[in-house]
Amino acid sequence: MPHEPGLLAVFADPADAARAVRAARQLGHKGVRAAMPAPFPELLESMDLPRSRIGAITFAGAVFGAAAGLALTVGTSLRMPLMVGGKPIVSLPAFLVIIFELTVLFGALANFIGMLVGAVLGRRRSWMPRDPRFTRDRIGVFLPGAGPALLAMLQQSGAEEVRHVA
Amino acid sequence: MTPPASSVALQMSRIEDTVHATQGKPGRGFALLLAIAAVCIGIGAYSWSLIIRFGMQYTGLNRPVGWGIPITDFVFWVGIAHSGTLISAILFLFRARFRTAVYRAAEAMTVFGVMTAGLFPVIHLGRPWYAFWILPYPNQRTLQINYRSPLVWDAFAISTYFAVSLMFLLAGLMPDAAALRDRSTGLRRRFYALFALGWRGTAEEWRHHGRAYLFFAAFATPLVISVHSVVSWDFAVSIVPGWHSTLFPPYFVAGAILSGVAMVITLLLPIRRALKLTELITMQHLEMLSRLVLLTSLIVTFSYATEFVLAIRGGPSPERDTLHYRAIGAFAPFFWLMVTCNCVLPLLLFLKRVRGSQLGLLVVCLFVNLGMWFERFNIVVSSLEHNRIPFDWASYHPRPTEFGITLGSFGWFFFWFLLFLRFLPAVSIAELKEETAGGHGEVKHAA
Repeated sequence: MPHEPGLLAVFADPADAARAVRAARQLGHKGVRAAMPAPFPELLESMDLPRSRIGAITFAGAVFGAAAGLALTVGTSLRMPLMVGGKPIVSLPAFLVIIFELTVLFGALANFIGMLVGAVLGRRRSWMPRDPRFTRDRIGVFLPGAGPALLAMLQQSGAEEVRHVA
Repeated sequence: MTPPASSVALQMSRIEDTVHATQGKPGRGFALLLAIAAVCIGIGAYSWSLIIRFGMQYTGLNRPVGWGIPITDFVFWVGIAHSGTLISAILFLFRARFRTAVYRAAEAMTVFGVMTAGLFPVIHLGRPWYAFWILPYPNQRTLQINYRSPLVWDAFAISTYFAVSLMFLLAGLMPDAAALRDRSTGLRRRFYALFALGWRGTAEEWRHHGRAYLFFAAFATPLVISVHSVVSWDFAVSIVPGWHSTLFPPYFVAGAILSGVAMVITLLLPIRRALKLTELITMQHLEMLSRLVLLTSLIVTFSYATEFVLAIRGGPSPERDTLHYRAIGAFAPFFWLMVTCNCVLPLLLFLKRVRGSQLGLLVVCLFVNLGMWFERFNIVVSSLEHNRIPFDWASYHPRPTEFGITLGSFGWFFFWFLLFLRFLPAVSIAELKEETAGGHGEVKHAA
């Protein structure tokens, strides 16, 4: 995981952190990173992150599940065409239950895997210093490669602590 | 209203401390409960072993009553498993904020409820080593399972429900396990790290987590309705009087939610006191849940009434005979117990005094649990005892083995649930922390 130098500010309040992020962005600093114990909407919005594309992976998983359900039910019924209870060999209304369940199963599996992969890739792409307080009660805002102008801004923004990360 | 700046961090650490305190060394009470659960599992396992060794004569099942207490238990536990998904997924989509404090325990209950329910079709087989026949697998004779059978639908529905509920639970646990990991050491730290899956709380992680959680809820909502509908089709697709009804899917779903939410309240009432979570799981949360009990009880009452009226009107019919048999036959006391527990007693929840009282809630919910078990017993047994022609009439006398297995199922459920309470957070730390800064909100993203 690439280690980057920059400025790390620790906040006690998500509103202060959001203000600092907005100020940093106004001062032209792109790539602001943050860590927090809960998904504070105000802070996440201030970072203006793109919407997660996990939906595409989930959708692909669901489509695969539906196709798998259709192939399994229709394919195996045609492979062994045994008439049961006078019903057609391919009884789609009955097969829909299996198709639905496999759609949900594979969609949810893809969703879970997509979330984990997205989280790992996101952590790698946007490195930030690790601090146990960020999963407890503090919010960390990291400005990679930030200079003195941003140091002053962070110190005035209500941060409890501002430090250089070498 | 957003609280003052300094208090947000203070509240967050207080929430975490409260939940962390539940993970401390358990007392003697916990060990005793765990031991009781283990003994019950032992009784259940011994009872099952009798069936495996000596055959189905150790049950009261006969022809035509081929489904008895094991299938009653199966439907009961699937029903118990329904409240978790309702509380986590459906109330999440409706943005019902009272779910925050209670959904984790309900989700865990779902997973352990399905784990318990899944045992019963296998137990009921008598020869459990043939259980894999329900699954599609390649074989020399190209024999395939019958996808037109509701029992096959059931196998797919229940296993999907288990997988999705487990993933939903694990996804919600990740941030909380990370919080506990970061304040633990040694083996405990490694244990929490296993559930945290590398979580560090970065904005990138939350971005994907929030979206994935929404999709989980979107998947789980139709799934929860489909699963109990499929269970109801086990009955409704047959032509047995008392089973063959289009009313069954909504009736079963409402009944499942009624029994599930009643079980959540039954469990949360002692848990919040034992784990000192009264500040986080308040009586207001339980009161909101009790309104769900009341609502679903009214839906169940309406379903019973519809079923009775449809059976009575239109002259003599096997359906009407079955209703008479249920109301005045061998198991009539159980029928009226079911009506009393599921339709009459929950009406007490209209009274705020009862909704706001721990004892009142506990008593009503315990009776609802009892009533819902007997509802399933009535559906399963009395219909089979009194089929269309007198030639097909028979009596079912449950044997101690079946009661032993039922007791074992309660032991099995509570064993896992107690371990969960001991080792993992019973309330969602991250969502409670989110509320400290002004509550939940939809994150608006760029493009």
